[in-house]
Amino acid sequence: MSANRQTLKYITMKNIGKIQIVLLISCFISINAFSQTAREISEKASDAIDFKSMEMASTLKILDGKGRERVRQIVTASKEFDGVIKTILKFTAPADVKGTAMLIYDNKNTDDDMWIYLPALRKTRRIVSSEKGKSFMGSEFTNADMGRPNLDNFEYKILKEEEYDGKQCWVIESACKNEDIEDENGFSRQVSWIEKSTYLCHKIESYDFDNELLRVHLIRDYRKQSSGGYFAFYMEKENIQNGRKSIMTIDKFQEGSSMPESAFSPNMLDK
Amino acid sequence: MKEIKAIKYRWLINISTIVLVGLAIIPLLKTKTNSDLESYLPEKMPSRINNVKIEEVFGKDDPTIILFECEDVLNDSTLKRIQSLSKEFNRMDEFDMVLSLFDAKNIKGEYGAMVVDPVVKRIPKSENRKERLRNEIRDNNLVYKLIVSEDFRYTCIILNSSGEASDEVLMGLINEQLEAYPGNEKVTLFGLPYLRAEANEKITRDMMILLPIGLLIMFLFLILSFKQKRGAMLPFMVVMFSIVFAMAVIPVLGWEMSIIGILVPIMMIAIANNYGVHFVTRFQELRAENPELPIRQVVSETTTYLKKPIILTGLTTIVGVSGLITHIMLPAKQMGIASAIGIAFALILSLSLIPAVMVMLPKGKIVKHSLGRETSFLNRILSEIAKVTTSRPRMVIYFFVTFLILSAFGLTRFRLAADNNKIFPDDHPYNQTLVVADREFGGTKTINVFFDGDIKDPGLLKNMDRYEHELEKIPEVGNVNSIATIIRIMSKAINDPQDEAYDKIPDSREAVAQYLELYSMSGDPEDFEDFVDFDYTKALLTVQYRADDMVTINKVENAVRNLTKNDDNVKIVGGYSLIDKELSKAVATGQVNSLLFAFIAIAILLIIIFRSFNAGIIGSIPLVFTVLSMFGIMGWLGIELNIATALLSSISIGLGVDYSIHLFWRLKKELKEGSNYEEAVRISLKTIGRGITINAFSVIIGFSVLFLSSFPYIQSFAFLIIASLFLCLIGAIILVPAICVLFLPKFLKN
Repeated sequence: MSANRQTLKYITMKNIGKIQIVLLISCFISINAFSQTAREISEKASDAIDFKSMEMASTLKILDGKGRERVRQIVTASKEFDGVIKTILKFTAPADVKGTAMLIYDNKNTDDDMWIYLPALRKTRRIVSSEKGKSFMGSEFTNADMGRPNLDNFEYKILKEEEYDGKQCWVIESACKNEDIEDENGFSRQVSWIEKSTYLCHKIESYDFDNELLRVHLIRDYRKQSSGGYFAFYMEKENIQNGRKSIMTIDKFQEGSSMPESAFSPNMLDK
Repeated sequence: MKEIKAIKYRWLINISTIVLVGLAIIPLLKTKTNSDLESYLPEKMPSRINNVKIEEVFGKDDPTIILFECEDVLNDSTLKRIQSLSKEFNRMDEFDMVLSLFDAKNIKGEYGAMVVDPVVKRIPKSENRKERLRNEIRDNNLVYKLIVSEDFRYTCIILNSSGEASDEVLMGLINEQLEAYPGNEKVTLFGLPYLRAEANEKITRDMMILLPIGLLIMFLFLILSFKQKRGAMLPFMVVMFSIVFAMAVIPVLGWEMSIIGILVPIMMIAIANNYGVHFVTRFQELRAENPELPIRQVVSETTTYLKKPIILTGLTTIVGVSGLITHIMLPAKQMGIASAIGIAFALILSLSLIPAVMVMLPKGKIVKHSLGRETSFLNRILSEIAKVTTSRPRMVIYFFVTFLILSAFGLTRFRLAADNNKIFPDDHPYNQTLVVADREFGGTKTINVFFDGDIKDPGLLKNMDRYEHELEKIPEVGNVNSIATIIRIMSKAINDPQDEAYDKIPDSREAVAQYLELYSMSGDPEDFEDFVDFDYTKALLTVQYRADDMVTINKVENAVRNLTKNDDNVKIVGGYSLIDKELSKAVATGQVNSLLFAFIAIAILLIIIFRSFNAGIIGSIPLVFTVLSMFGIMGWLGIELNIATALLSSISIGLGVDYSIHLFWRLKKELKEGSNYEEAVRISLKTIGRGITINAFSVIIGFSVLFLSSFPYIQSFAFLIIASLFLCLIGAIILVPAICVLFLPKFLKN
């Protein structure tokens, strides 16, 4: 029991960290079109905010547009072993799903491996999901938000430069190159507001297949970490067309994790 | 002789008529059509209230179904076509839900993993893979017999409108895509949006065709009957003006044209000429009797003589059709009000405009046949009738009673329409698709059971599961689905067949919550939207079934109600088939109400007019005879009581009573002038009998144009109204004279 608790304490939410990393990466990627070295810049940027190892506690709020909400509290831990980023994610609330845990191996060249532990069944199961445009845990965040985008799938363009929320930003468009890519990601193009001085992304708009605004994603409360990278503690994504909205707040964050590799294995999920 | 008002104020009458009709044209141009029968139901109808409550939580369910038919829907080209179409429809804002083989979910366990995939993830390239897919589909409760037929010869794409575009626009979009992605499959459309779009088009078409043809036929009939231009022109003018006036009532009162609305102008064609016809008949008669009389005097005398009977017959007709106002369905009320106003207008014009114009015309020729002396076919028949009714009145009455008894046997076979959407001919693609959907899929009728409570509670879910199993035992029930179905599918994906939890609703609330959480990691949040609400406090169990008659609908409904009656979580039993059922019941109740109203009102009118209770009784006899025989005949011929045929009796009573009134009027005149009953009958049949018959045939011919309608509803209405007017006619000119000869009613002598 105490071991269980200890594990819990160290588990923080990898996926959420992952979303933010990717967001930052995609913001930097957007600069590609601006100069010849845009892609290099984006890669450097991703290195700079590389939280391959971290622990955190977060709250995911899913709102249905009619004022009703579902709240999930999740702790995550993430660490890299031999080039594979392994993440454990565990629900701490609400009571009926408490103890439900997920394990994800972010394989470099193959699909991710995912397992889930359901405490009510005392069973560990593998789950499979491939579509990027699909919802993440029933929220407005999508699996595409969680994976590293293939840079070749998009065409980048600087639309304009403007001040957003008191910050000088580039407004960058990234458009899907073809319909298959659109279908996979669930949007036709995105427009991102990226702060010039820090390369931090503050807002992303996604447009549907008819080029109408579909979702607005706001990223706030960036906090500088000891490694020099930034981490956003507040994110919200709203579906403009159906009014649904999801908010993710980071309650606790720490760089690095002291958990051993053995803790990141499917048969440890019930511990 | 004192000059009548119509002559004195002729210019005022002419000008004000033209101005009034001109003004009525303005709203007429803004008339909208709306073929959605459900939209006309009163909002307080229980089944409708229930549906609104369900729609508030689960959204409006108004799907269009594209049905594909081919040898095997899993073949490469069909799947490719459906994939492309589904992709296109998914991209359109006009549809908020697209369900096809490429959108519906397959929840399965694979190598220890729970996989949520589209049913067809990849189009199978080999026979082996195709058969594997076929087996997967057979095992998928959410797809088999819902999206793919039992024999794999049919599949469909279900599109739910987001409510932004009109039915016509939606159909345009669908047809455009079907043309953009052609294929060898036979494609048919189904669903209420299609039905409405198709019906709207047909309503407009009917109007465009029926109205001109009806007018033309009427004009020819008038010309042939009166052999004189003015004889045809004047009643025709009244018809035209009253059509405009009656039709303008619909937009002026803020209504839209329904399928039933088609009947209004046709009714005007048939009825509005009546009064003019009587005027012209009497005018020609007087003119022939006294060739020297100045036209003013002929017109004055005609008007004075006809004023009373025309007003009285007009009033009874207005009262008869007003019976429709008591009807629960708005289209029936509309028709009652619009045609009552139209008829009133025609009545006024016949006594004002016709004399006003007539007096301004030259005297005109004398039409000889108008005296009823020569031996035309009609006159011969009428004198034969006079002979029989006066010499063997008893036999006549026995004959009618026998006919009534024989047709009344048909009442045992009398049926209410079970499906108010069967408005097209049997060979219309819509009805054919309906047959396919009933035969190959789970049926076209639905009942929804609405649950309120903690939906993750295993007790509640197990109840749902039990209801599903019980209902699926009823042969007419095709599919029963709910969140419990999905939880069970999940339990099969998560657990191995040897596990205790396999294919079962789990025993703990936590396990249910965790199944769902697991699903949300690989499926879409919208996947269960049709079954459970966002916070898992409300759920819907849908029963899909097939039914051709009220008995089956009642059987399934009762089964659902009995199963769920002690379940506190079940708050509403609703669904479109229950609205449809209530609509049919409302049609029947409306029929009874309007019938009673018309009978009583007309009997009272007769009693007042002739100051005799017996007049009310004898005058009503042909009407009772007609109505009872007609219901019997409907039973014999298998014509169902539906929204159109239910309008019949009010109209036929309102029209049919006129014949008796005209007859009484003439009998009274002849008796007063010293004839005995037999003589009075003989003279009356020869004179007014001719007028009545011509009048009845003009109405019959007017209504017969409805046979050209696109809607069988309207066609059967035409058949029935014609048959019942014919019965009213023979009732008035054969039965009533026989009764009068036999019983010598005193009121005719007063």
